[in-house]
Amino acid sequence: MKLTFLGVGVWGVGLQDFEQLRRCVQTREAGVGSALFMPPKPAAIPARERRRAGLMINMAVEVAHQACLHAGVDVSGIPSVFVSAMGDTDITDYMCRKLTRPEKLLSPTKFHNSVHNAPSGYWSISAENRAPSTFVGGYQHSFGAGLFEALCQARAGGGPVLLVGYDIANQAPFAGVTPVGENFASALVLAPADYPQPAAFAVGAELELVTGAQRPTRPQTPVLERRFAANPCAQSLALLEFLADPWAQQNSCGEIVVPVGQELALSIRGCAPA
Amino acid sequence: MRQGLARGQSGLSASEWPDCDVPCYLGAVDVPPDNLADRGRMSRNNRLIELALAQDEFAAHVARAQERHGAHRVGLVMGTSTSSIDRTEEAYRDLRAGEFADRFVQPETHNPHAPGDYVAQRLGIKGPCMTVSAACASSAKVFAAAKRWLEQDWVDAVVVGGADTLCLSVIYGFHSLQLVSQEPCRPFSPDRQGISLGEAAGFVLLSTTPDPVQLLGVGESCDAYHMSSAHPEGLGARLSMQRALEGARLEYSAIDYVNLHGTGTRANDETEGRVCAELFARSPDTRFSATKGWTGHALGAAGIVEAVLSINALITGLLPGTMHTTVCEPGLSLELESISAELKTVLSNSFGFGGNNCSVIFGQS
Repeated sequence: MKLTFLGVGVWGVGLQDFEQLRRCVQTREAGVGSALFMPPKPAAIPARERRRAGLMINMAVEVAHQACLHAGVDVSGIPSVFVSAMGDTDITDYMCRKLTRPEKLLSPTKFHNSVHNAPSGYWSISAENRAPSTFVGGYQHSFGAGLFEALCQARAGGGPVLLVGYDIANQAPFAGVTPVGENFASALVLAPADYPQPAAFAVGAELELVTGAQRPTRPQTPVLERRFAANPCAQSLALLEFLADPWAQQNSCGEIVVPVGQELALSIRGCAPA
Repeated sequence: MRQGLARGQSGLSASEWPDCDVPCYLGAVDVPPDNLADRGRMSRNNRLIELALAQDEFAAHVARAQERHGAHRVGLVMGTSTSSIDRTEEAYRDLRAGEFADRFVQPETHNPHAPGDYVAQRLGIKGPCMTVSAACASSAKVFAAAKRWLEQDWVDAVVVGGADTLCLSVIYGFHSLQLVSQEPCRPFSPDRQGISLGEAAGFVLLSTTPDPVQLLGVGESCDAYHMSSAHPEGLGARLSMQRALEGARLEYSAIDYVNLHGTGTRANDETEGRVCAELFARSPDTRFSATKGWTGHALGAAGIVEAVLSINALITGLLPGTMHTTVCEPGLSLELESISAELKTVLSNSFGFGGNNCSVIFGQS
């Protein structure tokens, strides 16, 4: 199936937007800007709400708005797919610790933020968006499962869809069990190839579902490769790297593979937009 | 379930949940302590799933579909809210120097995809597989994703399901929001006090093969209003029903029965009742009931439970009443007692935290 990528948002260690990622790719520099992680402050959420929302929700909402702004799409009308391998482990940790105490008192806000679709809820409120929105889990294949779901929705609706993938660094006891070493979030706006391009940015790609166990394609830029290795949702980075410099990347890598499951993957090849 | 319906028996009973002092009624299932072949994926939620898979030769039906279409042409969409958090809670009660004890080192289990992962392993799913987690709309939304996959010819059949277990997180979580009723829930009763929590797992096999019961339409929406309160005018609920009907190319008057979300909280029932009364104003023959008094609110599994109840109503003509409710709030008239009715088209509503809404329409050809 042919798609057009219309917008990108990203946040992670040393990365605060797509422009910064693009400079990393084009210059191959290890550290454009700071290599520290700075928590985002998404302008779309009032400051008081941001504090209540927590890091994961703020990252998801930040990159979602970045991608829509980049794409020039109406934030109030676009359907969305949110994905994460682990969900908000800070909140899971809070809840499970509180529940080991005799009084088991939980904060109502933390409880309603504990649903895995909380970032989608905050996004929809911040964008006044009543279009369908979903959360999809696929553990270490979450980004690919979400990309597949987003392309199905784009095809069904004929218009742009927002895909947002994120995980936050796990602390003990999760850190010893599950694979998230650092914070990372990215977002893509994608649309069917025949959708009229609303913005300057448009990169065409052909996506195909292929069977068999596949490894995700690693980004070639060293600094992005480190991000990729530390977070399952950073499996988006080979695709983001391609989108940052489509012509150069197309010549060197050809195909980008994103696993959708144990024995299923999406194969992505760049092509001229329709 | 059919026995309980026929006998007019609610699954709710006074809570005896271990280590829990919230006075409430629960729809607890008698889950065997160890019915999993794969002990590495041990959790109450997976054990509950196993109980559901063992019914009606469901696994055998899936195996036949895989044989007929090829394993890569059969997908899976699970819906859940709790996932296996029951197991994570248990692990936290037994931390060793701040780390999980060996038996709780279960990477596939302590994450939102645990039910999808378990069922995929158990049924040998090779097609697309994912877990939708959109609070109480989760296992209604599975029908939306599966429908797209089938219509776009990625698959020939999809296992859709939902599973959520009772656990301290949800009992104390809803208690913190003061939404838990001390008595069995009475949806749409003027003196309702809140929800009764339940647990459940359920499955439906969808395929392109013709069948007397069909999935006609699914509508999804967001309230864009508040994380845990429904939009006061029910904007999202209205949109999800409208979109389901548009997708099914049906008018409101074509719906014979609506299985309401009807949780038993003051605000939710009030809003849903008002919206339905308005939308169905010109369809006097449409009947309504809310079934959480039978089952409890199974949260992420509520969608699949009520889809199965709605499909069962289509097949058997038994429209379940609104258990425990003896007087209905003015506005929308509900069936309080179970009745026999000839039903051709039914709609089931599921609305969740985060303002996530989904309506599913099934029909009989």
